[in-house]
Amino acid sequence: MSDLLAVDDVTCSFGGVTAVSAVSFVVTRGELFGLIGPNGAGKTTLFNIVTGLTAPNTGHLRYRGEDITGLPPHRVAERGIARTFQNVRLFGELTALENVMIARHVRTRSGLISGVLGLAGSRREERDTHERAAALLALVGLADRAEERARNFAYGDQRRLEIARALALEPELLLLDEPAAGMNTGEKRALSELIRDVRARLGLTILLIEHHVPLVMDLCDRIAVLNFGQLIALGPPGEVQTHPAVVEAYLGDSV
Amino acid sequence: MATFLATYDFLLVSMVLAAALALTLYLPLMAGQLSVASPGFYALGGYTAAILSTKVFHHPAPGLYPVSLVLVEIVVAAVVSGVLGLAVGIPALRLRGIFLALATIAFVQILGVVALNLDVTGGAIGIFGIPQPFSSQMQYMWLAIPLLVVSMLFVARLEPTRAGRALVALREDELAAAAMGVNPTYHKVLAFTASAVLAGAVGAISAHFINTWNSRQGTFDTSVNLMAFVLVGGSRTFVGPVVGGLVLTALPEALRGIAGLGGLPTWFAEFLRDGRLIIFGVLIAVGTIFFPQGLITPALLRRLAGRRRPAAR
Amino acid sequence: MSRTLLLQQVLNGLAIGSVYAIFALGYTLIFSVLRIINFTHGAIFTLGAYATYVLTGSQLGINGLLAGATLPIRLPFVLALLGGSVVAAICAVIVERLAFRPLRMVGADPLLTLVSSLGVAVALVNITQYLFGAEPYSYPDPLSRLPSAVNFGSASQPVLVRTVQVVIFGVSMVMLGLLSYLMNATRTGKALRAVAEDITTSSLLGIDTDRLILLTFVISGFLGGVTGTLIGLSVGIAGPYFGIAFGLKGLAVIVLGGLGDIPGAVVGGLVIGLAEAFVPSQYIAYREAVPFALLFIVLLARPQGLLGRAQVQKV
Repeated sequence: MSDLLAVDDVTCSFGGVTAVSAVSFVVTRGELFGLIGPNGAGKTTLFNIVTGLTAPNTGHLRYRGEDITGLPPHRVAERGIARTFQNVRLFGELTALENVMIARHVRTRSGLISGVLGLAGSRREERDTHERAAALLALVGLADRAEERARNFAYGDQRRLEIARALALEPELLLLDEPAAGMNTGEKRALSELIRDVRARLGLTILLIEHHVPLVMDLCDRIAVLNFGQLIALGPPGEVQTHPAVVEAYLGDSV
Repeated sequence: MATFLATYDFLLVSMVLAAALALTLYLPLMAGQLSVASPGFYALGGYTAAILSTKVFHHPAPGLYPVSLVLVEIVVAAVVSGVLGLAVGIPALRLRGIFLALATIAFVQILGVVALNLDVTGGAIGIFGIPQPFSSQMQYMWLAIPLLVVSMLFVARLEPTRAGRALVALREDELAAAAMGVNPTYHKVLAFTASAVLAGAVGAISAHFINTWNSRQGTFDTSVNLMAFVLVGGSRTFVGPVVGGLVLTALPEALRGIAGLGGLPTWFAEFLRDGRLIIFGVLIAVGTIFFPQGLITPALLRRLAGRRRPAAR
Repeated sequence: MSRTLLLQQVLNGLAIGSVYAIFALGYTLIFSVLRIINFTHGAIFTLGAYATYVLTGSQLGINGLLAGATLPIRLPFVLALLGGSVVAAICAVIVERLAFRPLRMVGADPLLTLVSSLGVAVALVNITQYLFGAEPYSYPDPLSRLPSAVNFGSASQPVLVRTVQVVIFGVSMVMLGLLSYLMNATRTGKALRAVAEDITTSSLLGIDTDRLILLTFVISGFLGGVTGTLIGLSVGIAGPYFGIAFGLKGLAVIVLGGLGDIPGAVVGGLVIGLAEAFVPSQYIAYREAVPFALLFIVLLARPQGLLGRAQVQKV
């Protein structure tokens, strides 16, 4: 099955405001899929729907053929979908390493009792969790700051830490919500590289919301454009760039 | 020393039991849940032990009540509390923040009314004449200290493990934790039930220790005491509630002693001792403003240990 | 059930309920503006009741630090009521300034404020107990010239409600009307609702949020004092802890009605009053558990209460 994620006619409204309106698209395995649109277009809401934080009013979500509509967030994570947040949601009081270790939760099994008793299997898993977390921090270039409290990190570094945390889930589908926000040009370039690297090395499919349009155009295989909750364009970057509806929606932005 | 121990034996054992009970507030708090349900389970545990020892286990008087039976009662009380904890926790822990706190307040009140009216719990009078397994109050330390130590070990061992991390993640950011695969309700219920089990065990010991048990044990006032222990002691590390429980239980008596030494009028000294709830209430109010994480914080512990925070093993 | 009996129980329920309702009005007013549960309302209510007692020139009992004391003045009941309620309002303001404002300044979690209010309430009630003792007090009866009960039935099948309970019901309706008018039809009310919506923005828009919050506590405290005195008049003051008992039951009332909803406080109060009145006689001992059982159920089934709107969580 080459379709990894199918969003099927999804609509979601909150108290009179329709955030997402009859959106449908398919993300194929291995794709780097971009999601753009003006502020308030419904992009983050769509992410929230896919990851189970919000339930759609109508429509379905299919992941690897399975209907995951309405599943709670932890079950969605179990199935291999990980995400980062628009407003970074790290566990501020915890260290960078601990942040990443927590996301190993679904890939480990030791329960309360075996953990407290310090049984061999549990200790082995602890070491494994520790090592993998350290490796992921190294991947995003934060290895030397493993013991620092997450809230002390600069904004750009926090975003990289969030990516490392999401990767700890060993996901197949990674949702990145404006990962480049608050980064300078150099950092954006590094991020681009990181995303490409991660996708190639870990064989991920990536769904990316981003405001910085050149980044999206540069990275993505296909782009979907949302405006006022509706899908107004879908296709390769070149096509989308010159699409009349897109140009109109972005009047004033540099496309 | 011997006279000191003899005079203060009741206080010392009470301090240890209070410290253990403080941990019952700490456990759900690790997952970010403010639950004041433990007084209810404490009361339940006490009633279980009281009923078992006065009505079920018949032991030939005179002579001391066998300690082995007390241990049985502790286990039964812990199990009963645990089961009720699950039954109440599973629905209640879907609630967040203030709503959960209110639900646990309601729970304690309901239990109180029920206890006041059942025959088996002795109604308004309660159960008295609970048999003694020891010839002196100090010997209750044989039960109290192991219980405190075991619970402290449990919580200390919990923090650096997968389950402990899940709880802390929930406290930091429940939404993000769920997105990272942590099942919120499961872990919250886990912490809640563990808390209920411990509270029940403390209750069972206390029933023997205090010799009587009635609906005045495990009330709203108890919730306030526990909140003072945790808020003042420290809510971010298990050492906090333990120290809070020990110190605040001793505080009124200590203040009375100091006031007596300083030659202050007796009524003032008596006030310091009897006004424990006034002192605790004020401490809570002051604590929320000036030290919301309590006096014993992880940062303080790190400094005392003289080294940086060790990497998680 | 005969019609008379039914009517009697309904009226009993409304009588009990209106007591809860006026208590809950002050309680829910604070929540409607500040989004916090102010558990000290019960303690303020107690202070008001005791202040009125003292102002009527009555003598204090044998327990407590002030045993046997009387105030040198002796006010008629209504003036004492007003005076006592003013004292309550002042206490409410002091609590606001000392306990709540510092928390508000740092944007503390409402849960932390609830915990603080629990501590303050218990401290205040115990101070009251320390001063006045825990024994019951009752007011010199101001309604002695009125008939002691009103008959809603007939001479042959009387359905009696005590006059004081009718007064309380009347007061609750008047209070509901006044508060609703304040919140919905005045500029101050509009400003209060703005503060409830978003305190920072309101302040930036030039609304004197501090003064408005002060006003809220003055009204709430005054209401608390009135409530305490009226309840003391109706059933006597059983001891300072009756403030805690009301504070706890009041939680059930305001959640049932809908947190922050002013008519909801009255609806919640009446519903719980009726529920208590209709407890079958063989379970009368469990009547005290009814409000809390309802609270627990409402929290699980419909946390926004009867009149509240479901809250959407922003992600």
